Amino acid sequence: MAAPLISQGEVEWITAGVSYNTRNDGRKREDFRQLKVQLGMLAQATGSARVQLGETDVIVGVKAEIGVPDADRPDCGRIVFGVECSPVASPAFRGRGGDELSSELARALERSMYPGPSGRGGGIDLSVLSIVSGKTCWVLHVDALLLNIGGNLHDAVSAAAKAALADAKVPKVQVVPGEDPNGKRARLQLPGHSRAGCYSSVSDPEAGLAWPSKRVYEPDYEVDDDPSEAMRLDASGMPICITVSLIGGHCVVDLTVQEELCSAAAMQVAVDASGGVCGITKRRQKGIEASLAMEMIEVAQRAAAQLHTALSSSLAEQQGQQQMAVG
Amino acid sequence: MPAAEYVSPEGLRLDGRRPKELRQLRAELGVLSSATGSALFEMGNTKVLAAVFGPKPVEQRSQEDEKRAIIKCEYAMATFSTGERRRRGKADRRATEITMAIRNTLEQTILTELLPRSQIDIYVQVLQADGGTRCACINAACLAVAAAAIPMRDLVASCAAGYLESTPLLDLNYLEDSGGGPDVAVAIHPNYDNRVVLLQQDNRLAIETFEQVLELAVAGCRAVSGFMRERLQEHTQALAAAQDAGEQDDVGGGDGEDDDDDVMGVDDF
Repeated sequence: MAAPLISQGEVEWITAGVSYNTRNDGRKREDFRQLKVQLGMLAQATGSARVQLGETDVIVGVKAEIGVPDADRPDCGRIVFGVECSPVASPAFRGRGGDELSSELARALERSMYPGPSGRGGGIDLSVLSIVSGKTCWVLHVDALLLNIGGNLHDAVSAAAKAALADAKVPKVQVVPGEDPNGKRARLQLPGHSRAGCYSSVSDPEAGLAWPSKRVYEPDYEVDDDPSEAMRLDASGMPICITVSLIGGHCVVDLTVQEELCSAAAMQVAVDASGGVCGITKRRQKGIEASLAMEMIEVAQRAAAQLHTALSSSLAEQQGQQQMAVG
Repeated sequence: MPAAEYVSPEGLRLDGRRPKELRQLRAELGVLSSATGSALFEMGNTKVLAAVFGPKPVEQRSQEDEKRAIIKCEYAMATFSTGERRRRGKADRRATEITMAIRNTLEQTILTELLPRSQIDIYVQVLQADGGTRCACINAACLAVAAAAIPMRDLVASCAAGYLESTPLLDLNYLEDSGGGPDVAVAIHPNYDNRVVLLQQDNRLAIETFEQVLELAVAGCRAVSGFMRERLQEHTQALAAAQDAGEQDDVGGGDGEDDDDDVMGVDDF
């Protein structure tokens, strides 16, 4: 990325300000900039969110596709994270220029979302995304697009990913038993509603009527287009990444581009809404003493509480507005 | 699957528009703080963001032109922009073609001779694609260049038209575009007697029908240029008002002679 220029005088000014707990824009060391969230602005996506944290602008789109589950987690769906740096954010992102930064951001998101073997405990409960165990599941593609660089990209991207997943409405899937040559039917609940019409008289499986002739006896699935039947994801357990940086020995949160040039060491801590730490990564060139590292993690937990509250109140407001618009 | 009816017997299209009706247009200037000039342009569900960086010194000395500015362009589509999620590589052939079309059109519009030895970067990001993307990109790029205070000889306005079920249709959306009929994309300079600076046609079209469709597309372009001019005037007025308000706070402030910094530098308006 093209490095913005900063003079030694400016570095000293910012460092001195931080030691007095005052930053260039008047914030204290542990204050976040204003967070603006907009949900559902991409009509073609399963879920979407645009987050502006100060000048940093990120759009995240979630698309749900039918796919195959992992072999070691047959009863779970999958989430795949991708990040792209749009050239509109900077000429440095022309061509393949943004690849390094985007892989770093995508990896950071993935690491904070590692689930346990049951699919739970990873931010989003992946077991709700399963359709047919071992064969079919929902794969959620979470794609972030950076539109403007204003500092503190990791935090903004993870907050936007959380907002987009909270906005996502995964279509309802009906699993329909296929015809079984042995005469056995799978025990599945078949609601009366049917879009295609050809399954409309399936209420009596024993009658053997109206089954389309299928040679395969594996269960088939049908996706329901009705938006009011869609499933909302529970993203409340999803962590947000907080980057805590050291400027002149003090821990500072939510740095602007200029402030980032004054910091030589940073810690990225993924913290969930209850204050639990989900992942830690050390960034930048300088080493951090162990005691200082512990302090930074505590700062991250405090700051995360602030950001989680700001995000949930924005989400609640937006979703309330959506309800009013629909209802 | 029933054959899609692109124009109903009452004369309504799939989205309820009349054949000669444009989709709803929306534009916002100055949406990105890092870019010199930026604009968000929407034609119906097609949403495009354009950013301009420059004029600045040329990055590669060998490309420097002593008589005019060089223009670098890039077009990118977000993975979530289309109905089916597609992982588009940046070297996609369609993207290269559209990049060239945008660059070519803007090269004819920007007064590059006034800015020799410099480089102007124009980047376009498609956020949502629903037909007419290249037209929306050109319109967004034009507004972004204006917002960057780069002199242009005229506005460039772009629109596409097609022909389905024996009816010329203005501003096709994605469904209509995939209907197998012709698609004529046009960009014009409205003040130079509607001279055409971009013309691209897909699919077969009889020459008599072509004139009709071209006329319709040009009329669409004129409507788009009217809309763009309104938005630019509103934006400039807002900037002038903000500048006046700022000057009243200044001690011994200036006399407002810099008000025209963000207006296009063309005198014939």
